Amino acid sequence: MASLITCPHCGTRPKEEFAIRGDAEPRRPSAGDRDEAWLGYVYTRDNRKGRIHEYWHHAGGCRRWLVVERDNLTHAVYGVTDAAQFPKAEAAE
Amino acid sequence: MTLHFLHRHVLEDHLAGFETRPNPNHVTVYRRPLILSVLAHAGQEAAVFAHLAGMPGMDVRVCGPGEWMIVSAAGSRRAEEVAEELGALGGASVIDQSDGKVLLSIGGPSVRKILAKCLAVDLHPDVFAEGQSANMLCCHVAANLARTGLEMFEITVPRSLAGSVFEELMEMGREFALTASFSGG
Ligand SMILES: [Zn+2]
Repeated sequence: MASLITCPHCGTRPKEEFAIRGDAEPRRPSAGDRDEAWLGYVYTRDNRKGRIHEYWHHAGGCRRWLVVERDNLTHAVYGVTDAAQFPKAEAAE
Repeated sequence: MTLHFLHRHVLEDHLAGFETRPNPNHVTVYRRPLILSVLAHAGQEAAVFAHLAGMPGMDVRVCGPGEWMIVSAAGSRRAEEVAEELGALGGASVIDQSDGKVLLSIGGPSVRKILAKCLAVDLHPDVFAEGQSANMLCCHVAANLARTGLEMFEITVPRSLAGSVFEELMEMGREFALTASFSGG
């Protein structure tokens, strides 16, 4: 259940301790990138169904940013990692 | 009219409560604890923690990766002195939080049943063992909980929310005859 998140630092915690920030997959364009790239990054977001990566902030605990992999249809949680460990895919060019 | 120590108003107990001695389930509020926040600089986490763990009279509370609170319930040392000692160590940022936090301990045979109504964290001793501590929500407030004994916990909360946490703890403990007092009296 998505209502219990196992924080890698704090252990199993209720979802009330977290703030959800949103999709962790879009890559931030570089500062001098084309306007189209920034438009896509800021405004054009997919709203996918199924297995997703999301940023969760453990506001009521260790205050670390985490990346939760979960299914937004079944609420199953597949994994939680510290955002610092989340593999950033090849940087957007 | 002179007031001496035997003078008791007839409504004294009605105002202050009839419970004079602590019941088995009891909350102790520390009057002037010493509480400092310590944040290790990158790469210095292990060295800073080793130093904190060796400080006499100070308990170490885990807040998150590279972040701790060091606590002395008795407040036997001066905050400036402790901050100076840690400052000299290098590799850590230290801030005195003694005035900004409230420290209380709760213990007794029913303590887990009481806390089960205030926290959504598993406090079974296999999961949260004696000596362990962590930040968590307690009565909807960001608190630090430490297990100081099998049936004894210490809670640190921001002072502006301490009143609400205390009232909720006491209400949840009412069915177990939870009492409260300041430490040492
Ligand atoms: Zn955490």
